[in-house]
Amino acid sequence: MATKAGDWRSYQRVLLPPVRDLHKLSVYGDYAALRKVLAEYSPQEVAGIVKKSGLRGRGGAGFPTGLKWSFMPPIKAGVPRFLCCNGDESEPGTFKDRQLMEFNPHQMLEGILIANYAITAKTCYLYVRGEFADWITLIDAELAKAYEANLVGDNIMGTGFSTDIVVHKGAGAYICGEETSLMESLEGKRAYPRIKPPFPAQSGIWGYPTTINNADTLACVPPIIKRGAEWFAGIGAPGHPGPILYGISGHVNCPGVYEYPSGMLITDLLEEVAGGMRGGKALKAVVPGGASVPVLRADMIDGVTMDAGSLKKAGSMLGTAGMLFLDEDTDMVAFLRRVTRFYHHESCGQCTPCRDGTGWMENLVTRIDEGEGNLRDLDLLLDLCNQMEGRTVCALADAAAWPVRNTILRFRKDFEAKCRSSMWTAKTVA
Amino acid sequence: MADFIRNPVVTLPDRNPAPHFCEQELAFTEEEKTKIARWVSQYPTPDGAVMWTLWLAQEKFGFLPPEVLRLVGEELGIPYAQVYGVATFYTQYYKQKKGVCVLDVCTCFSCQFTGGYDLLHYLEEKLGIHAGETTADGCFTLQEVECLGACGSAPMLQVSNGPFVHCVTRARADALIDALKAGRMPEFASVTLPQDEDELGGNRRTDVAFCERYATLPIAKHTR
Ligand SMILES: Cc1cc2nc3c(=O)[nH]c(=O)nc-3n(C[C@H](O)[C@H](O)[C@H](O)COP(=O)(O)O)c2cc1C
Ligand code: SF4
Ligand code: FES
Repeated sequence: MATKAGDWRSYQRVLLPPVRDLHKLSVYGDYAALRKVLAEYSPQEVAGIVKKSGLRGRGGAGFPTGLKWSFMPPIKAGVPRFLCCNGDESEPGTFKDRQLMEFNPHQMLEGILIANYAITAKTCYLYVRGEFADWITLIDAELAKAYEANLVGDNIMGTGFSTDIVVHKGAGAYICGEETSLMESLEGKRAYPRIKPPFPAQSGIWGYPTTINNADTLACVPPIIKRGAEWFAGIGAPGHPGPILYGISGHVNCPGVYEYPSGMLITDLLEEVAGGMRGGKALKAVVPGGASVPVLRADMIDGVTMDAGSLKKAGSMLGTAGMLFLDEDTDMVAFLRRVTRFYHHESCGQCTPCRDGTGWMENLVTRIDEGEGNLRDLDLLLDLCNQMEGRTVCALADAAAWPVRNTILRFRKDFEAKCRSSMWTAKTVA
Repeated sequence: MADFIRNPVVTLPDRNPAPHFCEQELAFTEEEKTKIARWVSQYPTPDGAVMWTLWLAQEKFGFLPPEVLRLVGEELGIPYAQVYGVATFYTQYYKQKKGVCVLDVCTCFSCQFTGGYDLLHYLEEKLGIHAGETTADGCFTLQEVECLGACGSAPMLQVSNGPFVHCVTRARADALIDALKAGRMPEFASVTLPQDEDELGGNRRTDVAFCERYATLPIAKHTR
C-alpha cells in the first residue's frame, strides 16, 4: 500500500546514519553545512530556507521552525540575543534526543551554530537534563574538540562570525522542558513557567530576545542546508515533512529509536519495524507521542499515519513521536494511575488547578485501581479535566488532563469493571 | 482520602537540622573556585552558575544541607533563600544524606509495563528496605523515579546520578549489587540502535522473557 512515507524501506537515514564512531569529530567531518552557510547565505536567507523546507519542531508542539526564527525582533546594539537548545527530554516514552547526543552530537552542534547564525545570537545554552550526566561528559569532550578546530568560538573558520555553546546541566525536573521554565532554570531560579505573552522572542532569558528549539529539530538543519529545502520537503507527509525519530517502547519485540520519514503507518511501525507484539499478543492501546497525548485504542489506528494531520483526525497528537505499545493484558487503570502520578510529581505547584488537580486525579484513579472507587468518580475525573484545561500558566495541566479524559472515555469498560466490583460484590447481590 | 495532603509526593527537608559539616570543612579549594569562576563567566549574571555549583557541591559533600547551600550562596554572591529555593526544586539535589550508592529505578509507564515495579520490588526485598529508604549500613538508597529517557531498554535504573544500567534482569540486578558492594561502578553502556544491528552489530537485549509482563502492582501492598 502506498503511504505518505513512500518507499520507507529504502529510506536513507540522515539523523542517525549507520556510521561507526560518528560521534567523533574526525569521522563526522568539518561542518560543511556551516561552512556553506557562512560563505553563501545571509541570516535571513538561512531562515528562509528552513521555512521553505517545512521543518516543524520536534519538541512536542510542532511549531514551524523557520517561522519561529523570523519572530526574533530586529537587532539592537547592546542587546544580546540567545538561542536555547532544549535537550531536557523528560516526557515519558521519549528517548530520541539521548540517542542523538550519543550517536551524532556534532550534527546537533552544527545545527545549533547555523541557528545561531540565522538569528544572530552570540550564545546558545544547551540545556541537558541532569540524569544524562554521561551524555553531558560526552558532549563536553566533543565540544572541546570543536572549539579546538575553531568550529565554535571566536571568528569561526576565519569568517568573522563568533558564537559560543554553553552546556547547562539540569537536575531532574520534567517541567524544565517547558520553554519559559527552562529559561527560569537557566537564570538560576526555581523553574516556574512564565505567563505568555511576552513570548521568548520578545523577552526570554534575562529579558533578552531568545529562541528555543528542541535538539532533534536543530539536528535536522544541517541536512536541509546541504541537500536543499525541496529535498527535505519531499520526505514523508506533506505538511509535516522530514525524518522522524520514532522512539518505540512497550510490549514490542524490538523496542528502540528508529529513524524513518514522517507519515509512517502506525501498523507498519508496529508490525514491520518493531517486530510485532511480544509473545504474539494482540494490541490493546497505543500512545503515539509521549505521555501527554491522548491514547488510541487498537481499533482506532487503521490507516492512521504518524503526522500531525492524520493523528489529529484520529483523535490524538504527534507530540514527541515516543510511541508506547500496550498488549491485551494491560490494565488501563494501572496505566492511568502511573500517568497521573507522574503529573502530580512533576507539577511545579504554581497554579492551584494544576497543583491540586493533579493530586486529586492521582487520588481518584488510585482509589479506582484499588477497587474502592465508584462510578461517580469517573464523572468527577472528567469534570476535573474540564476544570484544569486552559486555566493555568503552562500546558502541563492540559497535558495531564488529556490522557485522563481520553483513557476514561476510550477504555470506560476497564474502569467500570474495577468500579463495579467494589459496589456490587457477589455477597451484596445475593 | 486526601493522601497527597498528608503524604506529599515531594517531601520538604527539615529546615534547621543540626549542622553536619564543621567550619573547616566548608570551603571550596582553589581548583574548584576556578571552575566556578568559569561557569559564572558563561552567564550574564552569577545566578546562572548556581545549578552547576550545586552539582559541584553535591559531588564534594555528598549532599546539600543548609550550611553547604549557604556556602554556595556566599561563593556566588546570591542570597541563601534563592539557593535553597533552587536546591529544593530539583529532585536530583539531595537535601538529606543518602547511601553511598543511590539506585534510581524508573517505574514510569514504559518501564512499568515491562517490569519496572518488578525490579523495584525485587531490589526492595534483596536490600531489605522500602523504596525511598537507605540500608542500615549506609550502602544503598533505593528510589522510584520518573522516566529517565531510556524507555527502549526498559526496565532500567540509574546509579548515583551517573551511569544508566539498561535492560535489567534479576541476574543483572544481582551482579550489579555485587559489583557495587565491591566498589565497582558500572561502565557507560551504549545501547545500539535497532536499525544498526545488521550492519554494525549490536548489544540489544536477548533475554526478553524476564520483562515480559509486570507481575507486581504499581505500588505493592508491602510498601505502604
Ligand atoms: C510541560 C511541558 C514539557 C515540555 N517538555 C519538553 C521537553 O522535555 N523537551 C522538548 O524539547 N520540549 C519540551 N516541551 C516543549 C517546549 O516548550 C517547546 O515547545 C519546544 O522545546 C520548542 O522546540 P521546537 O519548536 O523545536 O519543538 C515541553 C512543553 C511543556 C508544556
Ligand atoms: S500548569 Fe502546573 S506545571 Fe504549569 S505552571 Fe501551573 S502549576 Fe506549574
Ligand atoms: S519509562 Fe522508564 S525510562 Fe522512560
